[in-house]
Amino acid sequence: MNVLENMRKIVGSEFVSNADFILQSYGKGICGGLVEKRPDYVVRPKSPEEIAEILTMANAERIPVIPRGGGAGLLECTLPLKPGGIVLDTTRMDKILDFNENNLTVTVQCGITWAQLNSFLNERGYYTGTLGPGSGMSAAVGGGLSHHSVGGGGAAKYGAVTKHCVGLKVVLANGDIVTTGSGASKYVKEPFSRWLLGPDLTSIFFGDQGIMGVKVEATLLIYPKPKYRSYRTFIVKRKPAEVISKIFMDIRKSGDLGVYDAFWLPELSVSAGLGLLFVKDIIVFKLWKDTNPKGEDIFFYTCEAGSESELESRVNKLNEMVLQNKGVEALGPEIADGNIAKWYYEQNGHWQIYHGFWGASGPGAIPQTAEHHLPIHQIPRMMDAFTKWESENQDLLTQAGPAIHGLGSALLCDHTTVEMDSGLVVWNKPEFREVNDALWKSCLEMVIKNGGLPYMAGMRYSRALIDAEALLDPFYNFMKMVKQALDPNGIISPGKYYLGGEQ
Amino acid sequence: MTESEKLKYIKKLKDMIISCSGIGDCRIGYRPAVGCFGVCPVYEHSPGFEPYQARGKLRVLYGLLEGTLEPSEELARVWYQCTSCGGCHAICHQSFNENINLFVCNYINQNEVWEAFRADLVDAGLAIPRHQELIQSIIDEHNPYFESHADRVKWLEGREFPEKAETVYFMGCTEPYRLPEYAQKMVKILDTAGIDYTIMHPNEWCCGSIAFRTGFLELAKELAEHNITAIQETGAKNVVIHCAGCYKTFVEDYPKILGNELPFKVYHATEFFLDLVNQGKLNFNKAIEKKVTYHDPCHLGRATKIYDAPRELLKKIPGIELVEMKRIRENAWCCGAGGGVKSAFPDLAVEIAKDRILEAESISIKTIVTACPFCVNNLRDGAKALGKEDFEIKDILDFITEALE
Repeated sequence: MNVLENMRKIVGSEFVSNADFILQSYGKGICGGLVEKRPDYVVRPKSPEEIAEILTMANAERIPVIPRGGGAGLLECTLPLKPGGIVLDTTRMDKILDFNENNLTVTVQCGITWAQLNSFLNERGYYTGTLGPGSGMSAAVGGGLSHHSVGGGGAAKYGAVTKHCVGLKVVLANGDIVTTGSGASKYVKEPFSRWLLGPDLTSIFFGDQGIMGVKVEATLLIYPKPKYRSYRTFIVKRKPAEVISKIFMDIRKSGDLGVYDAFWLPELSVSAGLGLLFVKDIIVFKLWKDTNPKGEDIFFYTCEAGSESELESRVNKLNEMVLQNKGVEALGPEIADGNIAKWYYEQNGHWQIYHGFWGASGPGAIPQTAEHHLPIHQIPRMMDAFTKWESENQDLLTQAGPAIHGLGSALLCDHTTVEMDSGLVVWNKPEFREVNDALWKSCLEMVIKNGGLPYMAGMRYSRALIDAEALLDPFYNFMKMVKQALDPNGIISPGKYYLGGEQ
Repeated sequence: MTESEKLKYIKKLKDMIISCSGIGDCRIGYRPAVGCFGVCPVYEHSPGFEPYQARGKLRVLYGLLEGTLEPSEELARVWYQCTSCGGCHAICHQSFNENINLFVCNYINQNEVWEAFRADLVDAGLAIPRHQELIQSIIDEHNPYFESHADRVKWLEGREFPEKAETVYFMGCTEPYRLPEYAQKMVKILDTAGIDYTIMHPNEWCCGSIAFRTGFLELAKELAEHNITAIQETGAKNVVIHCAGCYKTFVEDYPKILGNELPFKVYHATEFFLDLVNQGKLNFNKAIEKKVTYHDPCHLGRATKIYDAPRELLKKIPGIELVEMKRIRENAWCCGAGGGVKSAFPDLAVEIAKDRILEAESISIKTIVTACPFCVNNLRDGAKALGKEDFEIKDILDFITEALE
């Protein structure tokens, strides 16, 4: 069978390619320092039906298919296990299909970015609550749901994006197009709930790293965007891991104080950003040059309310709660006072500071993340584990150029969970590839063995889980059974969690 | 070509190429807080594969540097479908402001990289044939429009200018050959203000913009050296330019390629005329009752940061009401004509122009005003393609001259 010809017939010759330079551009992830894995074809379908035809053909021919959204994943999320296969670029499917103010839902094609969607909603007084992953300006809704994303704003109040999805349309490996959630009933005209039609089968596709099917449409809850917001930033001068864990926990125990985001920027990030550690001639955090010259740990929050008086009351309570901790000092309310929370929202408008930060050790520095989720109270223990890992791997870290490592930031998300934006920043140079790879494997293993749950697992972290023998056999067998039922030939993203693709 | 000469231009920019973090905001960044709603006009009107936008382009260059790819005609064809608008650079660097200065932003200049690879494509014999024709026309007749050099001043109808003056009006090629009414308006305004000025004919040659943008760097350097010498011979201290492409070439490319500051001051017409208005040398006596929106030319806005002068001038004209579009200043949507796209991919250029017309219409505006003859031309083509014959595309010179009456 001529795969290229077939796909040309399905999507039109303009939207499928096997040109070497196009394959090259899809053959590297954000972790660009590692070896490239070019697919054989890239295809950009425009409808669920076109995807169904592609999958039907790939299934018959046993060709691996790697679904891809914005391509913003950090852990080889959209790379094949090995060169070859079809990359299914879903970004042509970026339409808003139904904006439903009666149900407070929006139904979109999964190739739309979170920022595109939220721009549309903001103009109408709404938002999706959590604004997607940290890379939400370019990350697609499908990718966010596949990774159980947080980080784009709103995680403390709304949790991960999957919480707000009430139904999906998914194309399965055999080409079936399945609607999940209440939309699966022919009598429900407007999807509104994920449950009550038997077991919650929508969730099989959440956090699945794209292995169970191709998400093509999603119905998300939307929320009125509160009119009033306040931002506060604090310096934490002693025992930051302990103090910030306590603040995060106090926020949760205090009930609803409208905390939209709560963020910790550790000394590593702040002092590097003040030119105290690596690149000396670029001051990142000019806003802290005078107010935090030593580059001490920073904590900040954003609070929302429906009225000015409610906001004032909430801010007073929160400030009191934060400042009762010894060694915590408040910065002033303006950006010039060092209030980075206000800068994020009002001057920058997006949470992607850490992306621009990756070059902290110089041009060509790139991330090898070990981002993970963790219960709040375990933050100090994980920080100790990082310190221990550092001393055990000192030689490798030095050989790597050196590599920067540790915690870059942490944010409060679902209930008592924090997302720890941690890992390595390494040099994107061929001579360091081997050592970078060894360090990354070791760092992921350390996080997993200390109870961290892989965030945005992709090919690399999902396999690290199995390498570390983290999954109990009955659970892993159950996962295999589900995968086998949905994708018996293992064509969709083979290799993640070691499911298929080894031959 | 020896192995070391291959890809010599991008090899010099390796640090920029390997610094891309690959997040992909350059594909379709939406950031309402800073007024960004989409980034890459070409991506929007192309098959949309990664190499049509900045992240993918940098990935391709990475492969070329590593030797896993070779330049090809097909690659060149995609590469030249970039208007050099700089939208990708703006969004990548948007976190750079008085309070924050993120590392990665400091390491990459996208347009510099794109143009470097175009120079490598030219070296490899992979330039676009249409661009080669334009370049030949510049070599033969000092303009890319296949017109005779002598006709550059046809619109002056025999008027003569002094050999020496304090200011030179550098007219460029688009105005005299394609939109002579704007060259005439420039002269009218300069005359009204009583400026001691001259033109350089027959010593004015193409500024070289198209040579810089499409990778013909040797010719670009030759043109730069010629024009600078010719200006110096007039004894002028100031050069005033209306064409945004010429202006960018003078202030950004000439100093870079020559390694020196220019021996005279270069002003865009809007800056120059705003000064004259503020000094009372130009007086807007006639009211023009019109609601307009302003389109930032990429070469004037993102490239050289002139955002305010044209807006201030418009606001000084009695009766003009300036209503802004959603995508302006750093985040302005390109008209579609730059970077050699208008000549090599005219349909693509018009598709992008149509976006801008529709954007203006979405805020109930029927007149776009800009400050670049190249934008005027292409936006007019866009309006025509939409069948909107009544939609007006004006240059700011139209309103200035009318208000002076």
